[in-house]
Amino acid sequence: MASRPTVTIIGADGKATGATEVLPKVFGAPIRPDIVKHVHTGIAKNKRQPYSVSEKAGHQTSAESWGTGRAVARIPRVSGGGTHRAGQAAFGNMCRSGRMFAPTKVWRKWHVKINQGQKRFATASALAASAVAPLLFARGHQVSTVPEVPLVIDSSAVAGEAVAKTAAALSLLKAVGAGADIEKVKGSKKVRAGKGKLRGRRHRQRRGPLVVYSAEADGKDLVKGFRNIPGVETSPVDALNLLQLAPGGHLGRFIVWTSAAIKELDAIYESKKGFFLPTSVVAQADLTRLINSSEIQSVLRAPKGEARTKRGAVQKKNPLKNKQVQLRLNPYAKAFAQEKLGEAKAEEGKPPKPTVAFKEQLHEV
Amino acid sequence: MSNVSADLIWEVSRLQNSYLVKTRTAQFSRDPLNLKNVHSRKYAGFVNDKAIGISANEKGGVQVISKKPASANKPASGLHTVTYGGNKTGRKTYRNVANQAAKNGYRADLRSVAVSRASALRRAQRPAKADPERKLRGNAAKKAAAAKQ
Repeated sequence: MASRPTVTIIGADGKATGATEVLPKVFGAPIRPDIVKHVHTGIAKNKRQPYSVSEKAGHQTSAESWGTGRAVARIPRVSGGGTHRAGQAAFGNMCRSGRMFAPTKVWRKWHVKINQGQKRFATASALAASAVAPLLFARGHQVSTVPEVPLVIDSSAVAGEAVAKTAAALSLLKAVGAGADIEKVKGSKKVRAGKGKLRGRRHRQRRGPLVVYSAEADGKDLVKGFRNIPGVETSPVDALNLLQLAPGGHLGRFIVWTSAAIKELDAIYESKKGFFLPTSVVAQADLTRLINSSEIQSVLRAPKGEARTKRGAVQKKNPLKNKQVQLRLNPYAKAFAQEKLGEAKAEEGKPPKPTVAFKEQLHEV
Repeated sequence: MSNVSADLIWEVSRLQNSYLVKTRTAQFSRDPLNLKNVHSRKYAGFVNDKAIGISANEKGGVQVISKKPASANKPASGLHTVTYGGNKTGRKTYRNVANQAAKNGYRADLRSVAVSRASALRRAQRPAKADPERKLRGNAAKKAAAAKQ
């Protein structure tokens, strides 16, 4: 690669400022959905809170087995009388009001350790995918009005108090073409199915753009501006999170960068000790170009046969539809068709009565 | 991006993407750049560098969108739109659609599919024929109708 690709910087009015920025190296990282998926499933587990059924559940009775000889199963039974509960089976997982099978414990292994190298690989991969417009479309982001992917906004548009207010932040996003994605999120809010409703997860909605800023250069005022816009998330560039870069483990999050943030990205990856940005295994990932390349084509055997090879007797043809096959079976078909014998009407009337001479001849002894 | 090919994008988004519609028997696509609305590598327009999409024009006729390969990462300016109005003859429309799909090294393999989609859209825009008047069935009905007159 002779020169690294650049990205234009969009101003607050949604038009290109004319300034460009060299795309950081991380955007050339290989896109590996398998690694991203694996890392995502791991780190998504690390925010869980332990839960379990009560230790005592199903055991708060003094049941004992009746033993054999009473013509009932030997399961422990509630002692005493005077209530329906007496004599009922208890404790077992198959019993009404018994304990559950294998009661859940708070000491389940809730967290998953993912190697740091893998996490960094996945983050780099997710960042690279966020610069591929088709993957953004595939993830469902409405980015058809966005001037360029990755979308980089001039830092002056978010500097200081410029977007500290939600109205200003929203109008900035609309100006740079991210309005459609926010509208989609607004319309997507639905009541969650199931018990999650009771557990503080009442609604579910799509994710909108992720605003990545530089905490040093841009300050943190913009966080307050963006935080009440549905679906919009913010993240400082030095603390990128795979859960935001690839929600659900699916690549292609729509990211809005500030120019200061994208400028910092190279330095951030250089400062990660012992980590080198992953590189692609193949230089050319376009299969069609590979197949049609002169290197491949020059060593291939010439194709046998012609462009259209006759299949001969391989396929049975329908002689009622295929005239050539019909003629081969029935040479009379040609004459039959030409004389239109098929369309000729049957002769009219009864056959003529036999003549007297004919009858005489017939009955001649 | 430099090393991202359509083949790679297809492999990444083949199993799940926002356009995919799964039914019990088949997989369809809601991609506007998909000529057959079928989820397959050939017709997946959002994946391919060059893709053509045909939709009905609001005022009759068809609208043809095609991707500009040079501006693959510029979604706002990445589509070329042409409209063939409803008053244009079918043949002219189809010829233009076919040329747009197949000429200049675009998608020659999609020519016939593009034409049939344009044709189907035009057919759908024809005014619906009114139902013919119901014929009277049976002598009793005919007599009743005559008596009325």
